[in-house]
Amino acid sequence: MGKVFIIAWKEFLATVATKGFILGMLIPPFIMGVAFTLMPLLMNKKAPTVYGHIAVIDRSGVVAPRIVQAFTPEAVEARRAEKLKAGKQAIEQGTKALGLKPETASGIQKQVDANSMAAAQNLIPDTNLTVQVLPPETSVEDAKREILKATGREQAAAGNAARLALIVIPETTVKTTQTNEEGQPDFTPFQLLTAPRLDIEVQSDVRRQTSKAIVDSRLATAGEDVAKIRGIMQVPTVEESAVTAQGDTKINEVAKIMIPAAFMFLLWISVFSSGQYLLTSTIEEKSNRVMEVLLSAVSPMQLMMGKIIGKGAVGLLILGLYSSVGVASLIFFAMADLLAWHNLILLFVYFAIAYVLIACLMASIGAAVNDINEAQSLMAPVMIVLVVPMILWMPILRNPNSAFAQVCSFVPMINPFIMVLRISGSEPIPMWQIPASIAVGLLTVVFMCYAAAKIFRIGVLMYGKPPNLPTLIKWIRMA
Amino acid sequence: MSNAIEIRDLNKSFGPKLAVQHLDLDVPEGSLYGFIGPNGAGKSTTIRMIMSIIFPDSGQLKVLGKASAVESKDRIGYLPEERGIYRKMKVGAFLKYMARLKGVDAAEAERRTREWLVRVGLAETYRKKCEELSKGMQQKVQFIAAVIHEPDLLILDEVFSGLDPENRRLMRELIREQNEAGRTIIFSTHAMFEAEQLCDRLFMIRGGVKVLDMELEEIWRTYDPKTVVVEPIETAALDLPWGNLPGVKEKLDNDGVIDLRLDDHADVGEIMRQATTMARLRRIELKRPSLEDVFIELVGGDAAKLRQELRDSAKPAVQEVTRG
Repeated sequence: MGKVFIIAWKEFLATVATKGFILGMLIPPFIMGVAFTLMPLLMNKKAPTVYGHIAVIDRSGVVAPRIVQAFTPEAVEARRAEKLKAGKQAIEQGTKALGLKPETASGIQKQVDANSMAAAQNLIPDTNLTVQVLPPETSVEDAKREILKATGREQAAAGNAARLALIVIPETTVKTTQTNEEGQPDFTPFQLLTAPRLDIEVQSDVRRQTSKAIVDSRLATAGEDVAKIRGIMQVPTVEESAVTAQGDTKINEVAKIMIPAAFMFLLWISVFSSGQYLLTSTIEEKSNRVMEVLLSAVSPMQLMMGKIIGKGAVGLLILGLYSSVGVASLIFFAMADLLAWHNLILLFVYFAIAYVLIACLMASIGAAVNDINEAQSLMAPVMIVLVVPMILWMPILRNPNSAFAQVCSFVPMINPFIMVLRISGSEPIPMWQIPASIAVGLLTVVFMCYAAAKIFRIGVLMYGKPPNLPTLIKWIRMA
Repeated sequence: MSNAIEIRDLNKSFGPKLAVQHLDLDVPEGSLYGFIGPNGAGKSTTIRMIMSIIFPDSGQLKVLGKASAVESKDRIGYLPEERGIYRKMKVGAFLKYMARLKGVDAAEAERRTREWLVRVGLAETYRKKCEELSKGMQQKVQFIAAVIHEPDLLILDEVFSGLDPENRRLMRELIREQNEAGRTIIFSTHAMFEAEQLCDRLFMIRGGVKVLDMELEEIWRTYDPKTVVVEPIETAALDLPWGNLPGVKEKLDNDGVIDLRLDDHADVGEIMRQATTMARLRRIELKRPSLEDVFIELVGGDAAKLRQELRDSAKPAVQEVTRG
């Protein structure tokens, strides 16, 4: 066994300790990791803080203090918290309505919390606005001129005191003796003049707060209890929850497709890249004529086992690396609950089966041929195993418990790929099929190892015309 | 003294081709055994069977007292004819790897690798990739790989092919050194003069059939035509009565050189001493047959054709080297 591991270690290093491997294998997850970390940060990046002041020409004399009140930092913060809370409630209702599993729901919840926090920050940009109350008799034209001085860029600069908006409230906006045709009081609308590039959210916030201040002033002028009436007018935001519920469904839908697909592609990439390494290294040993030197020290069986184990370790490294990047990003997005941990273990079990099968094929082919070109003609069986999961991916994902999917789970060679898709899908599959499919896989492994050992032993020292499939079968039958 | 290798009635065929037929062979421990014969004679097949890389169809084979080389692989050093090298591997790493595969522990493998590289003048290649070495350097590295685990039995297949004269000398020296350290050595070659210079026993094979298996001294004794060659300085001396020297059977005169065929009991020393007193000589020597002559005599048949066969078989090996 010692020699097998010496070979395995050498084979592992020969692949892993090369610039090509490090660049080819380590950089993609690194880029992915960076992208996954940076993208949300970039996307959730807060809108720049808006600095400046809002001027108010209040001819009614009662609204201005309420506007000043609305833009104190405390009031702005309170509004933001309010919005956040409303969003959260809506999502809670949405996930409940979907009837998701509690752990999944909480995963989504966390994710959405993070998102809604960002969203709220986007909705209410940080503002550092002061309200400047101008004397009521100030000319609107004069006051407007100040706004012209404010350019878009200045808004973002700290300490900028440019005038961003001008609110003009005529006296008749709060109190009027005029009535319209329906006999209701006909208030004059207020005027809102803004800088051309004022943040749209700030603009609407200013409009909303001014409207609120005016309504409150009217109520106060009419002698009503403002706080009481505001309390009465509070309406729960039912409609918003429906909107968010759709968002929820979307996340869940994505997870349903993405996780099984990720599982299968992980398996696929790791199995085939390590299989490819095994093929080329076997062919290299043969065409370099280093084979006989090796066989003077070890038996063909030891050599094959060492090579399979060594390149298998490469596959495991790829699988471990990529899946930990995946898991890390799920944890980063607080979506780790979407992942069932026992599936991750099964992923490695199915990797072992799929890899040994492919490795046996690759080792046999590598041993039988003289160079990589000759290998192409024998690659057909490998190609089938390679292509079939790709074709069956979608139908099986849509219906992991269809009769077709169940049958495929027991077809030797492809069943690890099929099972990985099925176990990680949203629909639970019959439990017995997992050990049963593993048993089928192991039986195939035993047969393939036997056949590969035969072909390898004969093939490694055979030079000249490459064997065809019937010849290979003859070799397997040879004692 | 026991035998390192014992072969009894060994047969091997590849399809219709009989590679080795009814082969018997004993290689005594500590001997330096030469396997000679033209290409395709069955040398490499025999060696591969000894190494248990291929298996005989029938017959018995014992290597270092075991039924198969598999059981004593760590005690055998083998330099195959088809010897490759990992092109991308560093020389030091390759040698350490081979040593480790043959059961040498890591620290010892490191020590021996460095020691050997110094010994063959390749110390500076330790960190070089194998592909950066010249063919001759690679050959030396491969030789080290075969002996680094200090085997009891060393089998070298076509060890001299592709080496320049200087490296041939080094290789001969290394082989003798290994033999003097008590190791049994088998080496095969199609270049018969290499065998003449080196081995103490010879095994000659052609068409899968053993034609000769004898100690070198015995070969010379058996196949020695016992001819003394005399080349006088003055042509007049050619007519002296050379044929009357004691023990001379026959006198042949060809182009200023006289061949004196002696009978089996002739005293060579006495004849040569007397000959030198008869005339001033440019040259006098006891003519030995070359192994090639012996081979041709043994195989019989068309001598010219056989010589051609032997020369042809020498060619591809040289081409192989240049092809790289």
